[in-house]
Amino acid sequence: MRGLVAAFLAVLLTSPTLAQTRDQLTVDLPADVATMDPQIQWDTDSATVYRNLFDNLVTRDKTGKIVPQVATSWRFENDTTVVFDLRSDILFHDGTKLTPEDVVFSVKRITNPVFKSPQLSQFDQIVSAEVTGPNQVTLKTKSPYPVLLAQLVKLSIIPKAYVEKVGDVAFNQAVIGSGPYKLASWQRGVQTNMVANENYWRGKPAFRTVTFRAVPDSATRIADLKTGRADITRGLSPDDAVSLRNEKGLDVRDVATERVAYMFINALYGPTVDKRVRQAIAMAVDRDTLITALQQGYAKPVDVVLAPTNFGYTNEVKAWPYDPDRARKLIREAGAEGAVIPFLTSPVYDRRLNEAVQQMLADVGLKVSITVVDQPTYLKRRLGTPEEASSLSQGRWSCGCLDADGVIFPLFRSGSVWSKFANPAFDAEVDAARATLDENVRRAHYKKAFEIMHEEVPAVGLFQDEAIFLVKKDIEWTPTPDEAFFVFDMKYKN
Amino acid sequence: MRIPFLIWCVLVVLGLFVLAAILAPQLAPFDPLRQSLLLRLKPPGTIMGGRSFLLGTDDLGRDLLSRVLWGARVSLAVAAVAVVVSLVVGTTLGLVAGWFKGTTAIVIMRSVDTMLSIPAILLAVLTVAVLGPGFLNLVVVLGLTRWPRYTRVAYGQTLQVAALPYIRAAEMAGCSSFRVLWRHVLPNIAGPLLVVMTAEFGLMILFEAGLSFLGLGIQPPAPSWGSIMSAGRAYVERAWWLTVFPGACLFVLVLCVNMAGDWLRDRVDPRSVSR
Amino acid sequence: MRHHLAGRIGQALLASFGVLTIVFFVMRLSGDPTLLLVPEGASAAQIAELRHQLGFDRPLMVQFAAYLADLIRLDFGESLVQRAPVLGILTERIPYTVALAAGALFVALGVGIPVGITMAVMRDHWIARLLQTFVLAGQSLPTFWSGILLILLFGVTLRWLPTSGVDGPLSLVMPSVALGAVTMSTFARMTRSAVLDELGRDYVNAARARGLSLREAVARHVLRNAAIPVVTIAALEIGNLLAGAVIVETVFAWPGIGQLAIQSIQSRDFLVVQAVVLFVSLVYVACNFLADLAYAAIDPRIRSGE
Repeated sequence: MRGLVAAFLAVLLTSPTLAQTRDQLTVDLPADVATMDPQIQWDTDSATVYRNLFDNLVTRDKTGKIVPQVATSWRFENDTTVVFDLRSDILFHDGTKLTPEDVVFSVKRITNPVFKSPQLSQFDQIVSAEVTGPNQVTLKTKSPYPVLLAQLVKLSIIPKAYVEKVGDVAFNQAVIGSGPYKLASWQRGVQTNMVANENYWRGKPAFRTVTFRAVPDSATRIADLKTGRADITRGLSPDDAVSLRNEKGLDVRDVATERVAYMFINALYGPTVDKRVRQAIAMAVDRDTLITALQQGYAKPVDVVLAPTNFGYTNEVKAWPYDPDRARKLIREAGAEGAVIPFLTSPVYDRRLNEAVQQMLADVGLKVSITVVDQPTYLKRRLGTPEEASSLSQGRWSCGCLDADGVIFPLFRSGSVWSKFANPAFDAEVDAARATLDENVRRAHYKKAFEIMHEEVPAVGLFQDEAIFLVKKDIEWTPTPDEAFFVFDMKYKN
Repeated sequence: MRIPFLIWCVLVVLGLFVLAAILAPQLAPFDPLRQSLLLRLKPPGTIMGGRSFLLGTDDLGRDLLSRVLWGARVSLAVAAVAVVVSLVVGTTLGLVAGWFKGTTAIVIMRSVDTMLSIPAILLAVLTVAVLGPGFLNLVVVLGLTRWPRYTRVAYGQTLQVAALPYIRAAEMAGCSSFRVLWRHVLPNIAGPLLVVMTAEFGLMILFEAGLSFLGLGIQPPAPSWGSIMSAGRAYVERAWWLTVFPGACLFVLVLCVNMAGDWLRDRVDPRSVSR
Repeated sequence: MRHHLAGRIGQALLASFGVLTIVFFVMRLSGDPTLLLVPEGASAAQIAELRHQLGFDRPLMVQFAAYLADLIRLDFGESLVQRAPVLGILTERIPYTVALAAGALFVALGVGIPVGITMAVMRDHWIARLLQTFVLAGQSLPTFWSGILLILLFGVTLRWLPTSGVDGPLSLVMPSVALGAVTMSTFARMTRSAVLDELGRDYVNAARARGLSLREAVARHVLRNAAIPVVTIAALEIGNLLAGAVIVETVFAWPGIGQLAIQSIQSRDFLVVQAVVLFVSLVYVACNFLADLAYAAIDPRIRSGE
């Protein structure tokens, strides 16, 4: 009770803290961190915050190439065994040394089914992790796993001794990592405060303190930036970006991400079972108008369901041209004129894009009826049987691994929960592409897979999505395609 | 009964709203769903391509005037049906509780407490998640969350009316409970219920707007004042007309309904309504 | 009297139990959080495995019994999403919620009651009409719109108040006004009709016959009696002020339990939703109970059993 009273007084009496010094950086995010423990939740907001507290085995440079971080080098002993040599000069925030045992512990903890990590499926190809030398760790995978390194970019290294001492619940409350920032305080649902790790092995961070605030409404986040309450925010809409382009003291910065926007078409149930109807939909959607009018140019068209930043992207497979007349003809041929096409979506997806597509399909004779449900219901139906999944829905997909295997395999391989498409030839191509480490062979398989998708149209690729940030003008930082957000890479100009 | 001039005005305005809603298909200059992606966010009075957009266009280039007119239809229909559903359910339960008293009353009035102690917006979000969206479900959700308000009033009123001598007399004369309730009690308690209705009517329109803001209101692309406003909210600075026009309609309508309600309240037994 | 009291408390607890039961089953009908927890691209087997580990594949009645068994031991469980004790998550938010509800009630009563009295005393006067329009404006504008207008005016243009978050007493002003405005007109209307009721009574005429001015009569007698219905409404509104502030909390980034509740519904974090609803329902029941006691204090006639 006394605690409540004290907290109540704290609410009313806290003095304004967000002093606008050059030592402090304030970031507005749509939501608070769900778990500070990096091995549990992997939603964008949580990862944006906690990744500043930890190091990873490997990381990506500005161009997206995988480069050393905790591991100095690695080599494949065979198709399923990788050996990593580690740095020996990294210290956790409590002063203890980061050892190979910590790396092995981090891998084993997240892959242990009893721990119930929601990220398990990203790492469950790893079957063993062992210390094989003074500064060496060896990982083994079930079968050849081409995206292993890409997945390890997202595996934070946590301190074994500390986690075992305090337990999982206490660790989540007060995490310790080896990253450029240390957790100072976490007011759940409100904000996270960090201080710089002055002894960080890659150098001293530019900002002494960092605050991440949870501000759910984007209009409010923009107001915060305008009044200087915050220095950076993410998730601007293209329309916001246009109206803020000339705002004094603020910069709109955008980057083409690895995320692809696409229109899913159910090939297993409803009027879209007919291939001609699916092809007609592909020809009826006017991508260029969507991009110029709705995205205000903040998007690049794609011909396949993959963003060009990903491995496996091809520009040799072309999209169906925009041709409403032919679309209308095909629909008539298929006897689908006036057919009702259910379109399932949730508030997460851009409402305007849905309605624009609805109009475009109405123009060629299809009656699209949109149903908006909340996100859990949407997932339940979209991942359910073909009957539940509706005929159309908008998707934005990123695997965070920059590889076609993380995109078209889960989306369209028959048997996968997302897939409402069954094509043995396609399945064979994507299966073969994940069973080898040879990049040229893999590329060839993906090209064939995209050719099949072009003909069968289980989805229409729309555009490569852009991440749009609003940043205080004198902060030096360029957003990266993997949507990572490392404060260590930011500093004031001059 | 003398109706003051102000109330006449209020009634005329209300009539105009209802007329606009009914005649929306005839009055609207354009199809409210017809988009022109190249004519997005045009200000009021824009004349382009031989079409004039009196109230401007929205973020998909649809004519705002047509959408506001059609929106009146949806918003008024949602509110009216929701009010009727909750009125019927709530009044029936209140009559039954007030008439039979005893265990029946305890059960009904405790369920009223139960329903009232769940914040309406949470209950609505939960039920929309289960039932799915759509006009019908929305109305059911609103009706189901709002009935206890009528039950409370109907219960208290029925208790008072049931004690009146002529009701007792009717009962003695062998009329069935249903007949007594329908013929004698209900007309006596109609006034206060009507007053609750007027207050609820405006709240229902706003409630639908709130659900639209959370993405769970009326289904797109159909317009309601709430959904037009929650979509237009992202453009408060850049395209003020998207929120101001439907907002003004909402305001005038709610104001008129409430003024009519207040006037009505003064006409029916004033002592009974305040509780 | 004591028997009556015990009965009231028993019935009240039953109502809270009813709330919990409804919410428990409605939430489960809406699906479980497994699909939100797995990363994009998980296989059907992996999803089934996680669902099994989380215990959502058990029959509903078994889950309910297990939950009640924990609840009896005052164990509210652990949040699935946050992996932290639910009780801690809830109690961290309560101070913010109480602060906002108090602020809103202050605005609603502070404006609503004087306006209501004026509307009754100056009935049909143009000032009364103007005031009525003013309080109704608060009720007939959607908060998601009025909230952002407040932020743009007082936060961005005038720079008088902080635009969002919790940052000293000033940051409470705008959310309180936005939330209070909604109930303000309810209070004004109730006060108006209660005062009108009282003005029509014999004792007021008697007092005025004794030479008291209308103002004195209102101040001395009418307000005291008119307070009863107002207290009732205040108690009824408390549930909505506590957890119904979803939209205001979202717009102003105010970390109250309304936001917690809606986010937990959207992530199907069952235990958190249940704890929030149970809390709100208990507070609601307690407030209505206190309101009953308050009548007795305000109006001795009730105590004597009239």
